Amino acid sequence: MAEKRKAMVKIKPKKFKVGDTVKVDFIVIHPMDTGMAKDKETGKIIEAHYIDNITFSFDGKPFTTMKVWESVSTNPYFSIKYKVTGKGKITVDYTDNKGEKNSKSKKVKPKA
Amino acid sequence: MERRKFIQSILTASAVAMVATPNQLMAEEAKKEAKAEAKTDTPALKGPNDLTLEEAIKVITGGKEVKKSDKIKLTVPEIAENGAVVPVKVLVNHPMTEKESVKAIHVLNTANGNTRCVDVLLTLANVEAYFATRIKLSQTQEVMALVELSDGTFINTAKSVKVTIGGCG
Repeated sequence: MAEKRKAMVKIKPKKFKVGDTVKVDFIVIHPMDTGMAKDKETGKIIEAHYIDNITFSFDGKPFTTMKVWESVSTNPYFSIKYKVTGKGKITVDYTDNKGEKNSKSKKVKPKA
Repeated sequence: MERRKFIQSILTASAVAMVATPNQLMAEEAKKEAKAEAKTDTPALKGPNDLTLEEAIKVITGGKEVKKSDKIKLTVPEIAENGAVVPVKVLVNHPMTEKESVKAIHVLNTANGNTRCVDVLLTLANVEAYFATRIKLSQTQEVMALVELSDGTFINTAKSVKVTIGGCG
């Protein structure tokens, strides 16, 4: 039922070891419509459509959650830090105010 | 010679006028729209999440005191060319240990309809109380980082961002 949204989870730097703190970036293609803007052609109000909740998990265990509001830019970007504990997978689950649920993962492959 | 100078001066004058007017026009249009909306039965656009800064702070802190703190490093541009994409970075110089940590970073604005932008709930796995995003600002205003510490106290800091082109559509 959920559209497949284009999203990216990036880990920086690309090379890291267990115990390192890395930066985890999440970017997603989403209009983040506030519900206050008018369509320039039709003059009608564009319905509010924005991401409202994001959960970052490592191997199923949440480590950061966010409540997001419509003041965030279109195609939003979110960045946090994370301590690498081992090999695994970071998953970003996100929902929007229209009930859309999506998910994007990134494997965590430490060098040592 | 005189004629050429005269024409040149008109051209530069109109060029200046043209550069000046878009902002003026936008401001005038905004005023017209606001007036028109005030006159009709439908009220001026108010989103369902609209909260003033005071209201938003109260919701977040439950009415607790908020102290200004320079432990919070808030990075925003002084001038945002495009109000639709204003980068915001927050780094709190505070331990992230079992004993004491940063529980949450709240990013707020002061003049959008909804002054809330993002509420980030951190855990010790984050190691650093860091968060970055990009927000929309409707006009020149302040961006605030409101931080909740594990001892239940709240600290904040705010910076002004000059917005040349409003970002809310």
